[in-house]
Amino acid sequence: MDFTTFAKPSTVDTNNDKSNSDLHFWKHVEYIENHGKDQDDFEYCMTEFLRMSGIYWGVTALDIMNQLDRLDRKSIIDFIRRCQCPVTGGFAPCEGHDPHMLYTLSAIQILCIYDALNEIDCEAVVRYVSGLQQFDGSFFGDKWGEVDTRFSFCAVAILTLLGRMEGTINVERAVKFVMSCCNQTDGGFGSKPGAESHAGLIYCCVGFLSLTQSLHLLDIDKLGWWLCERQLTSGGLNGRPEKLPDVCYSWWVLSSLTIMGRLHWISADKLKEFILSCQDNETGGFADRTGNLPDIFHTLFGIGALSLLGFEGLKPINPTLCMPQYVIDRLGIKPQILPKP
Amino acid sequence: MHGRLKVRTTEEERERKKKEQALKVKAYRAAMVKIQEKRLSHELDGEMLLLTSQILLRNPDVSTLWNIRRECAEQIVLKTEDLEEQQAIFETELNFSEQCLLVNPKSYNCWHHRCWILEHSPKPNWEREVQLCTKYLKMDERNFHTWDYRRYVVEKANIPKQSELDFCTEKIKVNFSNYSSWHHRSLLLPLLYPYEGEAQPKRAMSEEKLQNELEMVLTAAFTDPNDSSAWFYQRWLLGYSRQELDVCAFRCNNKHAMLAFTNPLILDAKDVAITNSEGTVIIKLTNWHSINKTKADNVWFFSLTDNAISYKEFPKEAFLEINRSDISLKKIILKTYKESLFYFKSPNQQHAFSKNVLNELQSQLESCESLLEYEPDSKWTLLTSALLMHAIDAQKYHNKSLENLEKLQKVDALRENYYKDLASRWILEKFLLNWMDSDAVPYELDLRSENLNALYYSQYLCIADKLLLPNNLTNYSSMKQLQGFSIFEY
Repeated sequence: MDFTTFAKPSTVDTNNDKSNSDLHFWKHVEYIENHGKDQDDFEYCMTEFLRMSGIYWGVTALDIMNQLDRLDRKSIIDFIRRCQCPVTGGFAPCEGHDPHMLYTLSAIQILCIYDALNEIDCEAVVRYVSGLQQFDGSFFGDKWGEVDTRFSFCAVAILTLLGRMEGTINVERAVKFVMSCCNQTDGGFGSKPGAESHAGLIYCCVGFLSLTQSLHLLDIDKLGWWLCERQLTSGGLNGRPEKLPDVCYSWWVLSSLTIMGRLHWISADKLKEFILSCQDNETGGFADRTGNLPDIFHTLFGIGALSLLGFEGLKPINPTLCMPQYVIDRLGIKPQILPKP
Repeated sequence: MHGRLKVRTTEEERERKKKEQALKVKAYRAAMVKIQEKRLSHELDGEMLLLTSQILLRNPDVSTLWNIRRECAEQIVLKTEDLEEQQAIFETELNFSEQCLLVNPKSYNCWHHRCWILEHSPKPNWEREVQLCTKYLKMDERNFHTWDYRRYVVEKANIPKQSELDFCTEKIKVNFSNYSSWHHRSLLLPLLYPYEGEAQPKRAMSEEKLQNELEMVLTAAFTDPNDSSAWFYQRWLLGYSRQELDVCAFRCNNKHAMLAFTNPLILDAKDVAITNSEGTVIIKLTNWHSINKTKADNVWFFSLTDNAISYKEFPKEAFLEINRSDISLKKIILKTYKESLFYFKSPNQQHAFSKNVLNELQSQLESCESLLEYEPDSKWTLLTSALLMHAIDAQKYHNKSLENLEKLQKVDALRENYYKDLASRWILEKFLLNWMDSDAVPYELDLRSENLNALYYSQYLCIADKLLLPNNLTNYSSMKQLQGFSIFEY
């Protein structure tokens, strides 16, 4: 039997088209709130290797929607405490896994949102992060030596959130390494020197430069053009030329353009339309593309992008750190943002 | 989770899938418990490799399990000095990671595991890895993990750059729409054919090679004018980098000095002085402030009031000396206006291409024009013809290239504001080029009749006494660099 008989992409569902011009606010709140309630859920279980980031995505999205109290603050903080590695000071995604820069940033971001940095050993985190910097300024993701500009971003984001950038790492070398990953063809960045430009990594590098107050090193007009060319006729943004649009690139591209003062180079209305078309109006949550299955990752980046576009009913989000702006203000952090020309 | 279509299924189907998934969850948990127990008791053995492989083959993103496999490899290396035995475990890992790559060729963990294995292996076979990349790029020519890994192993295997360039050419011939290949190419050409001419910013490669590349890329672009890959490459060849770091404007009277640069920089106390023709320092300008009070800035301000110097003391022939390794022009001759000294160099002044390249550009422009006759709304052709005109002779084609940008605002409405900003930039470039040689410099800068949507190059305007902005841009007048030189107060 041809099992595609049952396949019915929701794009052709006429009910969807109409109602998706609005944000299904409460459906999304419900979707995030329920995420992980069934511990035996297959997807949930298979993604435990990134649990800490999963929690960050959910916590941030709910806070942007002003519904943070729906999650249990105490149990989340207890979980985070259990994930700090007593030896290295870094955070694991969940118990039984190894610490990594990626999950250390997520843990710190959640703690900042909950105003709970005092619950963990911050000095140990500083030691972990600074210990991963290499002589050329780059950062390992963990002790196994993978080098990537994502980790450069994580490192300075963690230290900025902890207020410990001064005197802990060699910022000058860190900047030099990131700039060595800048491509002459398009002004963008890849994961390492020579790597092809990619919107996700561009966000990491532009965010890194914003945190180190070094945006003057960017070729704004060249990179800005490449980024605004990511918008496709559907209104959605892709991550590289000739690729499909994806809601998560709404965040990577949009936040980079915002930091660079070039948000006006794309059509905000068309992008809004695209993001809203990726909502799942049955279960709540956002998918990568219209008609696909939703997940918590795309849900944050959908909500986050709508917030950057000034969508009503959402709290403002900081483009550099992807956290509610009021949290960044509370911490007294001022990531660099460039004005429009 | 990417690219997973939401499908409607029957109740029965859902139940069946749920049961199947429950079993998988149970198996996963049991294996993870066992793995963690074994790790705690340092049992880094064959069973450990088997257990981790069962999970990783389904889900190569569980990075902790890769860490454990590396611990296993380290253990074996510690146990035996026999290189053959050591090599065996590394071979196992290479084969295993290749199996995982077949499941998910975009797994960061998997590619990194290969790097780690080869770096620690007693006999790494780098050539084999290059062949592996060639094979994987046949399956997906845009997989950036494969390209990154290729650059890494090619370097290790000492493959000549020319043969990598040939590989690129082959790839592009198979499919023009391959931004990854064009990118790889853009890394090799400047090294194989470096540019040694005078143009600033530097051309991407020698003009001879540039001409070949221009021919090749336009053929590609015309094959499918809606594909963006080749057009991006074309724009890079034409040159669109921001200006090199340089002094662009300076003015100084007996009260204060203003110094503007093409790009923002962090100005150091010992960088600047005014000298006479013998090179004797007349005034050391040491106490600079960023005009916008930022770490890096493109306009810097210096107050002379503390150690006031009267105009008479400026030498007849005065020079601005800049002592920085990142600025090429070190000594700038200053002009006199009333009781002040100044310097001004308009932005993005063109350095003409060689005759051969110019001929090529001219013929490309003609090709674009004829294509536009058939497809007047072709976005990439419109943009490229505007860029070609700008590259050939920005002055001569000024109005015509702006017409193209105006048309683009309609045919490519998503990026309407990009084209408006680009037009504003070109308009101001032309205006400042004329201003530089006019009687008004540096006294008055009147932009009121210019059709500007944005104010680029605002740092260039800091030396004017009187600045008249178009009505739609008056909100810029609060900018520090636009306060007017003679009335400026820090």
